Amino acid sequence: MNNIFKFAFGIFSTLAFAWLAFVVGARNQFGDLQPTSSYLEENGSIPKDAEIFPMAFSGIAQQGAQEYVSLGCATCHTQQVRLVDSGYDVERGWGKRPSVPRDYVLQNEVNIGNTRVGPDLANLGLREYSDEWLHKHLFEPQSLIQESICPPSPFLYDIKDSIGEGLIEVKSDETIRYISPQIRANRVVAYLQALKQDYELPEMSFIEEKSDELDELEIVASTDSNTTQFPTWLTEQISSGREIYNKVGPGGGGCVTCHQPTGLGQPGVFPPLADSDWVLGKKDRIIKVSMYGLMGEIEVNGVKYNGAMVPPGMPMGSLSDQQIADVLTYIRNEWGNSATAVSVEEVAHVRSKIGERGAMQMWTAAELNTVE
Amino acid sequence: MTVSSENIIDKSSKWVVSFFVASAGLWLLAAAFLAYIAAAKLTNPFFLSGLEFCTYGKVKISQANAFVYGWGGNSIFAVSIWIIARLSQCEVRGRFMLLFAGVLWNIGITFGLLGILDGHMNSHEMLEMPTEIWPLLFVSYSIIACLIIVLHRSRKIHETIAPQWFILASLLWFPALFIIAWNGLEINPAKGTVQSVLSMWFGQSLIWLWLTPFALGVAYYVIPAIIGRPIDKYYLAIFGFWCIATLAPWSVVHHLEGGPVPMWIPAIATVMSIAMIFPIAVASTNFHATAFKDIGKVWDSLPLRFIIFGTLSYTFSSYIGVIFSLPAVAKLTQFSIINEFHFNQRVYGFFSMIVFGVVYHMLPKITGKEIKKSAKSFHFWTSAFGVLILLVAYLIGGLTHGVLAQQSSLDWASSVISSIKPYFLITEIAFIILGFSQLVFVINVWKVLAPNPFEESGKNKKFASKASLA
Repeated sequence: MNNIFKFAFGIFSTLAFAWLAFVVGARNQFGDLQPTSSYLEENGSIPKDAEIFPMAFSGIAQQGAQEYVSLGCATCHTQQVRLVDSGYDVERGWGKRPSVPRDYVLQNEVNIGNTRVGPDLANLGLREYSDEWLHKHLFEPQSLIQESICPPSPFLYDIKDSIGEGLIEVKSDETIRYISPQIRANRVVAYLQALKQDYELPEMSFIEEKSDELDELEIVASTDSNTTQFPTWLTEQISSGREIYNKVGPGGGGCVTCHQPTGLGQPGVFPPLADSDWVLGKKDRIIKVSMYGLMGEIEVNGVKYNGAMVPPGMPMGSLSDQQIADVLTYIRNEWGNSATAVSVEEVAHVRSKIGERGAMQMWTAAELNTVE
Repeated sequence: MTVSSENIIDKSSKWVVSFFVASAGLWLLAAAFLAYIAAAKLTNPFFLSGLEFCTYGKVKISQANAFVYGWGGNSIFAVSIWIIARLSQCEVRGRFMLLFAGVLWNIGITFGLLGILDGHMNSHEMLEMPTEIWPLLFVSYSIIACLIIVLHRSRKIHETIAPQWFILASLLWFPALFIIAWNGLEINPAKGTVQSVLSMWFGQSLIWLWLTPFALGVAYYVIPAIIGRPIDKYYLAIFGFWCIATLAPWSVVHHLEGGPVPMWIPAIATVMSIAMIFPIAVASTNFHATAFKDIGKVWDSLPLRFIIFGTLSYTFSSYIGVIFSLPAVAKLTQFSIINEFHFNQRVYGFFSMIVFGVVYHMLPKITGKEIKKSAKSFHFWTSAFGVLILLVAYLIGGLTHGVLAQQSSLDWASSVISSIKPYFLITEIAFIILGFSQLVFVINVWKVLAPNPFEESGKNKKFASKASLA
């Protein structure tokens, strides 16, 4: 420790071990991967006439990659689909399969990233967004997704006041602007559209989609919506209800946390909404529950549950009459349920009949069933 | 060592140390300003959105670089020169070269950050400054590091102690890491995700092998100096040092869990992260067993209060880091804004607090002027408060972010990100508090370094104006 040279030798050798592994070792193991075909012959060679993956980006997409780096997009966006055991990426539909090292060998700028304030982009090109949609999103994300916190990049566009050829119309807050992308915006969009891992490789094949049980449910749901054509006001109410049901946070109901995306609840703990005698039964009971919550024993479809449902909304019990109407209409028409819609007037009527009631005074099932 | 020889040494380092401390302070302010802009852009995406050089990514990255290289680099130079000179009992030599290299370093970073804002960013973690800048930075760093090592070699006492090991190791590790990364990414670039492994390894090692050992070395020096008793269980220090040297370079790449790299890379990193509890335990035993024997002194001396805040934060953050590297927990929080928690915990809560402490301890000695206690105390409380809010917001926000992201039925923008918006607002407030507190620090420091020549006349003017009013 007293001789600086011996000391330096010591601290450099500890570093050298890690260097041997992460740099020399990694390079030897996967530093010279080459594109290959989806399936190999038994002797390990590439079959004749087989397509080779990954494919190189087009020139303009490669320029787009540089713009992507220089604008700092990688600060919030990753470009990697993790293994199924390690994360939710495939489940969220961000890729057909986990990413592997070979996917990146032809990229000059490897932007796998490490923070997801925005969604993963490894397969953006597979999500079937039009170029126009992506341009609008680059210009002003909030014109398409109101809640987005992605900063707009108006400096990549020329803004015009009136419509002309090749201009894209952007509507936001009742103002309409027409934009024409500069060359750099075109590069970025070309790059984003080129991001796709839509091929299989010998080391990784596509992940089978979900379990059979869920598939069946989806089929039921989709046939339902195919056979019944809802009028516009009803579809609007249902889609607004779906949002309230699924949103956990201010302005949402957070119903999904207990009753689950499937509407099946959790056996023995949270009652189901799908095909439930409560949901499909008298409206005033569920309207009251949506306002003040419910506690104690309740029998749903002949099964007894004993728990508490706090008043939905955040802060608790804050859902407006319109929101309650929407979310109830939604749950009465989802997962194979089919029942009449709940209107704002009905909710308002029930609210006026309840009159004064403490904010956290939850109902009991008995109370709801005896009234009237 | 007599008092007069100490005085001579301090005097010899005065100009060089003052230069580095003053420039570190300016970089700190620049970083605070950029941090605020970045935080404000997250709460309101339209904030400054029309300015191309102000995209969120550019501002965020230049903030990290200003912080680590500007504030971190300059304060490492300042404090290393002073502590190594003190421990060697030698006057600082090559002062002109040190100043010259210091000017080069600062010019390099200035151009580097302007380069990032102008759109010449690199994609590699903590190497984002434009390629052309790095040779300049490397040369100026080498000059400074060599002169400090020469200073160390001319020491009068042959035996070395813990502060010297940690500080010299951090000075030597940076260029080694840099050469490895530079070779693998620029001179002889690797293909595909080998690049990503290397760039993450460099970016994280920079914090673990450059900032961390330096701050630990400072704590090993200042705590016994102020408290007036030797480090408790000092024989453990050497074990702690070699544990960090061996384990830290392995432990830093666990963020790649599940990603497009061979599984052994995150796996081995996870194991080594867990093994890091040994060096953390050693450092916290050494510091806290010593300091808590005389808790009154810790409370009374502001430099020491800063440093103990830093070491407590080190212990706490490192243990949290260990917990978050466990695969079950990492799965929940990977890619969430918990990354910000780790970064800020390390650079604000630990490194910066220790540097604040040692600067307050060092400046009166080299300039002979005291800093007002109330000013220091104000700085301490605002810093401590700001850091705590910031970290709590990132921690809870990160957990919320990670857990909600797991629910694949929740929409990304309208559910997952909307529910962490409140935490972004809290961090924005925290950055305002921190920026304010750092302004106080810089004023405190500059007041001592460059006394206001107009102070007397200023007072007179005040009286004059009062008189005229009356």
